Amino acid sequence: MSRSHADRVVEAGLGLTALLSGGTLLLIVWFLFEGAKPALDFGMLGHLFGDGKWQPGSVRDPQFGVMSMLIGSLLVTGLSILLAAPAGVLSAIFLSFYSPARLARGHRRLLELLAAVPSVVFGFWGLTVLVPAIDRLHPPGQSLLAAALVLSLMILPTIALTSVSALQAVPVAQLQAAAALGIGRPRLIWSVVLPAAWNGVGAGILLAAARAIGETMAVMMVCGNIAQIPASLFDPVRPVTATIALEMGYASAAHKSLLYAAGLLLVLVTGALICGMAFRRQTETSLPRSWS
Amino acid sequence: MVLRRPVDCLLGWVGGLIALATAGAFAWILWDLVRLGLSQVTWGFLTGELSDGGRSGGIGPVLVSTAGILGGCLFFAVPLGVGCAIWLSEFVRRGSPWARAVIGGVDLLASVPSIVFGLFGMTFFCQKLGLGFSILSGGLTLGCMILPTVIRTTLSAMRNLPSDLRPSSAALGLSRLTMLREILLPSAFPGILVGITLGIGRALSETAALIFTSGYATRWPASLADSGRSLSVHIYDLAMNIPNGGANAAASALVLLALILAINLTASGLGERWRSRQTGLRN
Amino acid sequence: MAKLRISNLSIRYGDVRAVTDVTLEIPEGKITAIVGPSGCGKSSFLQALNRLTDLIPGCEVSGSVKLDDQCLFAAPALDTISLRKRVGMVFQRPNPFPQSIRRNFEIPLREHGTPKREIPAIMERALTDVALWDEVSGRLDQNAGTLSGGQQQRLCIARALALNPEVILFDEPCSALDPIASMAVEKHIQALRGRFTIVIVTHNLAQARRLADSVAVFWLRNGSGRLIETGPADDVLSQPRDPDVVSYLNGLNG
Ligand SMILES: Nc1ncnc2c1ncn2[C@@H]1O[C@H](COP(=O)(O)OP(=O)(O)O)[C@@H](O)[C@H]1O
Ligand SMILES: [Mg+2]
Repeated sequence: MSRSHADRVVEAGLGLTALLSGGTLLLIVWFLFEGAKPALDFGMLGHLFGDGKWQPGSVRDPQFGVMSMLIGSLLVTGLSILLAAPAGVLSAIFLSFYSPARLARGHRRLLELLAAVPSVVFGFWGLTVLVPAIDRLHPPGQSLLAAALVLSLMILPTIALTSVSALQAVPVAQLQAAAALGIGRPRLIWSVVLPAAWNGVGAGILLAAARAIGETMAVMMVCGNIAQIPASLFDPVRPVTATIALEMGYASAAHKSLLYAAGLLLVLVTGALICGMAFRRQTETSLPRSWS
Repeated sequence: MVLRRPVDCLLGWVGGLIALATAGAFAWILWDLVRLGLSQVTWGFLTGELSDGGRSGGIGPVLVSTAGILGGCLFFAVPLGVGCAIWLSEFVRRGSPWARAVIGGVDLLASVPSIVFGLFGMTFFCQKLGLGFSILSGGLTLGCMILPTVIRTTLSAMRNLPSDLRPSSAALGLSRLTMLREILLPSAFPGILVGITLGIGRALSETAALIFTSGYATRWPASLADSGRSLSVHIYDLAMNIPNGGANAAASALVLLALILAINLTASGLGERWRSRQTGLRN
Repeated sequence: MAKLRISNLSIRYGDVRAVTDVTLEIPEGKITAIVGPSGCGKSSFLQALNRLTDLIPGCEVSGSVKLDDQCLFAAPALDTISLRKRVGMVFQRPNPFPQSIRRNFEIPLREHGTPKREIPAIMERALTDVALWDEVSGRLDQNAGTLSGGQQQRLCIARALALNPEVILFDEPCSALDPIASMAVEKHIQALRGRFTIVIVTHNLAQARRLADSVAVFWLRNGSGRLIETGPADDVLSQPRDPDVVSYLNGLNG
């Protein structure tokens, strides 16, 4: 039959699009790996963690110390999570249990809008408003603190919105049971709601961490981009992502392949975070939803 | 609502203050952009050429390049993404190894940082395929980036279709192709449109993936093979590399925000209408 | 004359044996009712008759079904598309396509090669057969979802009729409808007697009594649906032999 023939052609075509879509990730990893190959040997490993400085382009004394940038990424991400996670969870609690319904709806809309603001706009604002403000407090302004603040503002909506849906997924029957026992709201939240919602909240925080560690523009515009281990919040730092963005244009040889390796590292870390998130989501849904 | 105990009171107030602070920060950002840039946004600004490195003049060529990049991006991501989602929902069993592999790959693709897309796009599209720093390279790179968004939204639109559409079409002897073209796709279309709209929003916001793929050129692009900067790259360049570029950067940021706001409102409006249509059918 | 000959038909979903070893002949031009408690495989059986079982992942069918002497499952099998044109189906829940009433006819008719200009006449005839023409003729371009439940079900019957099938399968066509709409649909099925071979699954024994020429009773035995009694409607419904059927009929009648 020509009709079932056409069906088979369509099926094959669609299968091909699926293969290409799924294969895009493999293609990306493959190209990163190819580019990173020269850097992935033992001789280089000693340099990466032994050299004190990052001056890969220097002809007389090339040094490949990446510790400062790894630490820079970790510090920026960690600090921003430290700021945004409690704030996000607390505002989710407020929206779910304290605020009037209309206010909560409005605020959710606002959070969605905030989540849609492009990172370059955050970066621009940080550069023109936040950095001068920090500079007045403690020069030079472009600093770990500025990066962490801007980044935490960027990931706050993610954490708050995922937390709100996690809190609202707690079965009403559980809330009623607790209320019927005369349990007050703070204890209800602490002992009944948060334990039940913790997987969902945790998944949101992991998602935010993956976004934070991969964020480039906003961070790069306010962090100062000096490859050093910062001694205080007010010192400039340079995370991995900024390094790639700043040096990709002119890097060559070993330097270039190190940038590919950095990209590969980013993919691995964010991939691991997302797998952790998916795992949390899964355990959450496999819990008994209602036990009443 | 009565706040009886001190802890209760404290929790309510702290949460409320944080929510207020978030709203305040948003307002603060918006206000600064308006203060710095609104007076620049005129018709001439939107259509004029750049001058003095972008410090003065308009953003006409930038908008054209942005549109070109978006076009390339959609040209790549929509057929591929919609096709993949249809295959996942209609042609393989849910949970089969192939379906899981493709969905897993797509979800991980969604987690790849945008700078890595830039790195990949530069290596693959610009160098390997020889497209150079061009609007097309940038568009294809962004296409890879928004692929997961398109696939995930289309897939959930297809999976949320009333489940009896498929047996009722089959019972009338419709071929799978007819079922797809005449029954399933028209019903899922608004949902697919939401996915595409969200993808456009992500593509418009992107900077890092474009710096090394579509480049910085400021002239009117003659073709897709020309280099051209997107609106977001323009903002970045003015802010970081051009002294006294602040006013035009703020104005461009306002334009970008307005575009994104419009996109978001469209997406949520479409989503709303779609949901009400879906539930309307169930009565 | 038997229109459909089913022999040793078994249907399983993975490990669940839904139907085991059913042998039955469906007489041409008559109404055959299939009754029995829920879960005894009536719907599964019906879906094997137009190979809708193909759509269910993990569903395996064994045994043979013949439509006029042509095999459905064994080679040389009828292709599913022309099979389903010849064997139409109406489901428990009305399922018009969420498009205009007109499109609900155009899509299947075009698929089976009916010229465009013939479609309006076919549509009108089919809608008239279910007494829906007067109600919808003024709004053929409205979404079918705006019709009431009973109207939607009659539309689905008309849509099946429009393809001019030889057999029509009804799977509890009235059980999602209110009593008045249900009576209307039943009346239209009654009127189709003789023109089509009809197989109808129903929970409503009174309906089976009113409609059916012959009756087949399915029952759950050893964890699987089986055919335990079959024959002319009057015999099976008034003097059943099987003790389970006796108590089933009494329970529902009394
Ligand atoms: N898609 C399916 N997957 C697995 N089991 C099914 C499926 N459809 C029906 N069954 C099982 O097959 C048996 C018969 O179901 P069905 O044919 O719907 O019976 P009836 O229509 O008589 O109520 C039931 O045990 C049911 O659980
Ligand atoms: Mg049934």
